[in-house]
Amino acid sequence: MPPKAAPAVVEPTSAVQTLWNAYKDHTTDRLKFIDAFLVFLMLSGIVQFAYCVLVTTFPYNAFLSGFSSTVGQFVLTASLRSQVNPENKNEFKDVSPERAFADFTIGSIVLHFFVFNFLG
Amino acid sequence: MLSFYTFALFFLSLAGLLHAKSSDGDSVLVVVEEAQQKEFTLFFDGLREQGYELTFRGPKDEKPAVVEHDVPAFSHIIILASESKNFAKDITPQALVALLSGGSNLLIALSQKQTPMTSLAAEFSLILPPPNTPLVSFFPERKDSPSVIPIAAPASSLILSPKMSPIWFSGVAHALGSNPLLVPILNAPAESFAADSEGGADALVDATEKGGEGLWAGSQLSVVTGFQAVGGARVAWVGGTDMFSDKFMKKEVSKGVQSGNAKFARDLTAWTFQESLVLRIDSTTHHLVNSTTPLEQYTNNDNIVYTAGISRFNPKTSTWEPYSGIKDMQLEFTMLDPHIRTALPAVPGSPGKYSVTFRAPDRHGVFKFVINYKRKGWTHLHSSTTVAVVPPRHDGYPRFLSAAWPYYAGAISTSVGFFIFSAAWLAGGSRENKKGKAKAQ
Repeated sequence: MPPKAAPAVVEPTSAVQTLWNAYKDHTTDRLKFIDAFLVFLMLSGIVQFAYCVLVTTFPYNAFLSGFSSTVGQFVLTASLRSQVNPENKNEFKDVSPERAFADFTIGSIVLHFFVFNFLG
Repeated sequence: MLSFYTFALFFLSLAGLLHAKSSDGDSVLVVVEEAQQKEFTLFFDGLREQGYELTFRGPKDEKPAVVEHDVPAFSHIIILASESKNFAKDITPQALVALLSGGSNLLIALSQKQTPMTSLAAEFSLILPPPNTPLVSFFPERKDSPSVIPIAAPASSLILSPKMSPIWFSGVAHALGSNPLLVPILNAPAESFAADSEGGADALVDATEKGGEGLWAGSQLSVVTGFQAVGGARVAWVGGTDMFSDKFMKKEVSKGVQSGNAKFARDLTAWTFQESLVLRIDSTTHHLVNSTTPLEQYTNNDNIVYTAGISRFNPKTSTWEPYSGIKDMQLEFTMLDPHIRTALPAVPGSPGKYSVTFRAPDRHGVFKFVINYKRKGWTHLHSSTTVAVVPPRHDGYPRFLSAAWPYYAGAISTSVGFFIFSAAWLAGGSRENKKGKAKAQ
């Protein structure tokens, strides 16, 4: 017998619905804000990759810098998210949220410097 | 005083050039036995009429010297002493080859006998039949000896003038090796063959028994052959001296028709002494399209214009005249191999100018513009100009391409997004704290 996806008290809903509700209820606004930014970066990367595959790779350096800017920014933002997440407090005892944000900013500025240098 | 003399010499030589008929000078040394000089008076008079200065010398005489102070004293040398087995020190085969490399032109008559000239002929890829086997033909039927043969002039020839009467010939024929510098001028008739002058048709019988082996026959044999050395000097090999003799020049081919020998001698010497079919490259330039100054280096994919000016020597006026008649010249843009090989056509309306526009290859390296025009009979044209082809400079690439806008937009939006995110994060810090405090309360 499969385990029940949702508690019996609430109306029976799909697993996705439950996940979404849980995320809405239990995630802080900060993390939601970060997640929105991550989704934006992911969509931007997907659009560029699709353009590269379907239309042209011609200024290849432009593709590389455009795509890697989204990927790099995604990675930096994801790191920020894991460091400021209150649930990971034990993991990052020495890193305060302010320190994490400063790291994120420096990393991003360096990334954008390289991206625009390479964009052509 | 010395400088005055050199000046005088300079102007004298200039004046000499103005009157020269040949593009190569007009002094001719004729090496001939003194006793035989009278046999060729018509030939020599014809040369004098053309403006050549003839100097005579026996094959064993020491003077006048062929080379004085390491400079050739004559522009052209005619060797009619074909029977001579011994030559003076400065007319040996080695000396003649050295002269040829230095730019002197030679006209050499061969004979049936083994002489230094027959061994020299082998060096020029002429293959001579065994000694004492002159060319013999029994056609057309005639009263003369079978070894005196009328040879019809070729229907179309660059060197010989058209509609020439048949040419009387007596002497040896030769087969041609595979040397590309050879220029066949007059071939033996199809019915002719090489045989003992007395034996006649016996040679044919012998050869038939051997299945044709060892028979020198047919129109593949040549009786007069030119050779143009790499340096541009020309040599004419003639199978026998008789074709230049007064006797053959006056001899009628048929009733009332003068033989073509005089005209043939004229055309042959005109070619050999570099009067006819002489070309030169006057100038070559290259530049970008929409520009006129030549660059030392070009960039990948540049559109380059290459122009060459070519002149042909006109013996009538002794001047170089622009010549647009070359139809099959090519330009190569080479780096070891030709990366581009394209036609180099004449520009209509501007005589002597040949021009082509082409796109430089998408390779960088040291390239050469090469014209390498080698046609039988004509002077070889060769020109090579080295230029560098470099990749674009870092700021030489095209920028802000329309195809790249999605990538630009992606990069810019990421940066803008980062900026807004950071601003909102910093601004939201206090609000979050208040919220947290509110929640705590």
